[in-house]
Amino acid sequence: MRPRREDRFEEIEPLLGMVEHPSRYLDHEWGACPDQSGPFYVCLIYADVYEVGQPNLGLAILYNELNAAEGISCERAYLPWVDMSGLMRERGIPLLSLESSSAVASFDMVGITLAHELVATNIVETLDLAGITIEATKRDEDEPIVVAGGPSAWNCEPVAPMFDAVLLGDGEHVVVRMAQCVREARSAGASRADILLRLSRIPGVYVPSLYDIVVDETSTRWGYAVPRKGTGAPEVVYKHCIGDLASTDPLAQQIVPYMSVVQDRLAVEVLRGCARGCRFCQAGMTYRPVRERPASQVIDAVRDGLAMTGYDECSLSSLSTTDHSECAHMVRALNDELGKEGVRVSIPSQRLDSFGVDMATAVGSSRRAGLTFAPEAGSQRMRDVINKNVTDEDLERAAQNAFASGYRRMKLYFMMGLPTETDDDVVGIPQTALKVIEVGRRMLGPRSKVSVSISVAVFVPKPHTPFQWSGQLPLEEVHRRQQLLLHSAYDRSVRISYHDAETSLLEGALSKMGRKGFELVYEAWRGGCRFDAWTDQFDFDAWRAAAARIGVDLEDVACEEFDVDARLPWDHTSPGVSKGYLQREWRKAMRAEVTPDCTRESCTGCGVCPTLHVQNQVVGERQ
Amino acid sequence: MSTLPPNACRLRVRYAKDGRLAYLGHLEVMETIMHSVRRSGLPFEVGNGFAKRMRIQFSQALPVGASSAGEYYDLLLSDPLDADAALEALVGATPAALAPNAAKILPRRVAALEAWANLSCWEVQVRKQGLEAAAFSESLERVRAEGVIHFMRGTKPRQIELGHSLGECEVRDVDGGVDLTLFTRVTERGSLRPAILVNEVCGCMPLRTCRVGQWHENDDGTLVDPLCQA
Repeated sequence: MRPRREDRFEEIEPLLGMVEHPSRYLDHEWGACPDQSGPFYVCLIYADVYEVGQPNLGLAILYNELNAAEGISCERAYLPWVDMSGLMRERGIPLLSLESSSAVASFDMVGITLAHELVATNIVETLDLAGITIEATKRDEDEPIVVAGGPSAWNCEPVAPMFDAVLLGDGEHVVVRMAQCVREARSAGASRADILLRLSRIPGVYVPSLYDIVVDETSTRWGYAVPRKGTGAPEVVYKHCIGDLASTDPLAQQIVPYMSVVQDRLAVEVLRGCARGCRFCQAGMTYRPVRERPASQVIDAVRDGLAMTGYDECSLSSLSTTDHSECAHMVRALNDELGKEGVRVSIPSQRLDSFGVDMATAVGSSRRAGLTFAPEAGSQRMRDVINKNVTDEDLERAAQNAFASGYRRMKLYFMMGLPTETDDDVVGIPQTALKVIEVGRRMLGPRSKVSVSISVAVFVPKPHTPFQWSGQLPLEEVHRRQQLLLHSAYDRSVRISYHDAETSLLEGALSKMGRKGFELVYEAWRGGCRFDAWTDQFDFDAWRAAAARIGVDLEDVACEEFDVDARLPWDHTSPGVSKGYLQREWRKAMRAEVTPDCTRESCTGCGVCPTLHVQNQVVGERQ
Repeated sequence: MSTLPPNACRLRVRYAKDGRLAYLGHLEVMETIMHSVRRSGLPFEVGNGFAKRMRIQFSQALPVGASSAGEYYDLLLSDPLDADAALEALVGATPAALAPNAAKILPRRVAALEAWANLSCWEVQVRKQGLEAAAFSESLERVRAEGVIHFMRGTKPRQIELGHSLGECEVRDVDGGVDLTLFTRVTERGSLRPAILVNEVCGCMPLRTCRVGQWHENDDGTLVDPLCQA
């Protein structure tokens, strides 16, 4: 029985003085949508705490789209931190939305962001706290339709049993169509099963319960999904793709939080998609094609957004902002106009090969303390394997430009455990950092205080990438290479940090498992796991125990290599990149052959444009 | 605020902190108000340091969970402006529960607001079964006589001397407990939070705390309203 829609803030108000950061639960922020008159109610949820979820641009886009649609109201909810959820459970208070403080279970449709693999137990926790039946197939007729979407939808099988439908690709427009579909079906008295059938007819919408999992000799042990007979569900669900980014609202983020959040600034999406073709990068494959927003639209949006929100910092966000053909012009124009008001313009990270004098000057005038680059690997051979397409010369030139522009600190991102990696490649990571230090000391003197921080992640093979068949490095070997890395750095100006091997192993296991992964997620949640992306909350032993209870070994799962011709657990959902292209790229990786960027050279045949009927949209000329 | 441009003027703004926004921390209030000032379009001054921060000063921090009828901030404007027009612009750009309710142009150079406004008046609701005004007052006088309260802030032990920081306190019986009208002073050695006093006196936390006024108390005991600081 769906609970009544009513304001229940007075039930959590007495708890606010007893928990950390009560501002997580307040609502009433500047820019939040106060009109929640429905009559169709949607609640969008980021299954982590407010300060992590609120800056999410994807959720902001969908929030605006839904609230702008006739007859639809959209609210937000976040997972309360463990202190608050404990008190809520004690007092029988369910998860509430922010805007109206209504029980999440009272909504018509609930949407949950699939931000990354480690959010899986938080989704179970969210549904449980909300009082919504966890497994979609066991939900009552009048329970909310629970949908999902986001960057981690590309192997959603381990969490798919919790969702009635999953949105693949760009959520604009489709999320409104989904809400309208549910509303019309409910008005017509349709059953839950019928609603799901109707949802499956919308391009870009995957309905997990309409697919059976088959394990046979053509598949991995996790099987593959086939549409159930008579349902009419498509064999492959292709993502929805917005062809023209300029037709979308550039100013998605309009809510100004009271508390400090992880990205406490205005964010304007300057482009979507990346065609660099890095072979480890899931976003680089799943967000194609490249669609740039015109510079004038970005500049206007920043100006309007700052006036609307009152922020004093703006981030030009995308997968690779310096690839935008008018990036330097945009940054320069914004700095000229806004610098005198104390407004900073920032860029998430820089490409080594596009950080020229122009860019250094433009970014340098916005007074940032340091610069971030991602060479990803420590040797040229390794960078060719992953198709990073940057050279030592690019690194040296970028460092020269940065130091000449006044920077003294640099952060470099790397990965270890990439396919074909050797000890020489690992040792090459600190050596790369030392080359940057040497450039700085050569230019600024031996006593100059230049420093380089390197952050080394553990490679996790991700679905829909050329490395999807690869196994992950075993734990013991990760630990050995991390020690090798530490002992290879002899200059105190190089600071090294690396990601937790156990967390990465779990991420790898959840990336590989098919629907069987849900048993693991549910069992881990029952064993107390939640907030797994939080170092102080992550309990690897509890995950291992949960895996043992369902008869799998996490390391065995994560380190397994798949046959290149095997049917994979995620083959029925597609971002438009063909499997043949991924196989070619995998083979080229093994030969350390590179593939160019199709926005700079000719088409590389990934299949996205003909399959999705779209094409790259580059507003100027890329360097 | 060391150097002031020739046209700069000081706008003092009084605002409330109300409703659920009582649960904002002081830093959150400061950030929210700075966002509001930027949205208002007022010509605020920016510091010359690396960070280029807005030139704004706030009165003493309110504890998280406490509301207020009268908090203050001083905003340096780069051009002289009519206070009523500035107030209107700020009201339109600030969340309702933090909305300004008065503004006045003050002399450019005055003592720093945080230390100058040294007297606060609080309305405090304490609810505890069996708690009566007479017993509360008796216990309060015993605590006052002891002269110091030892308490924990997080995991750290702290103490506050009551000699000068605890002013008059009127206690009234109400259904379910007592209501207080309490005066506290800021001293060089700290300021007394009502919740700490109440907890020491009767072993429970206040249900609601509201700062109803702030003043500067002269040596002779006369009070100066913050909007009249000269």
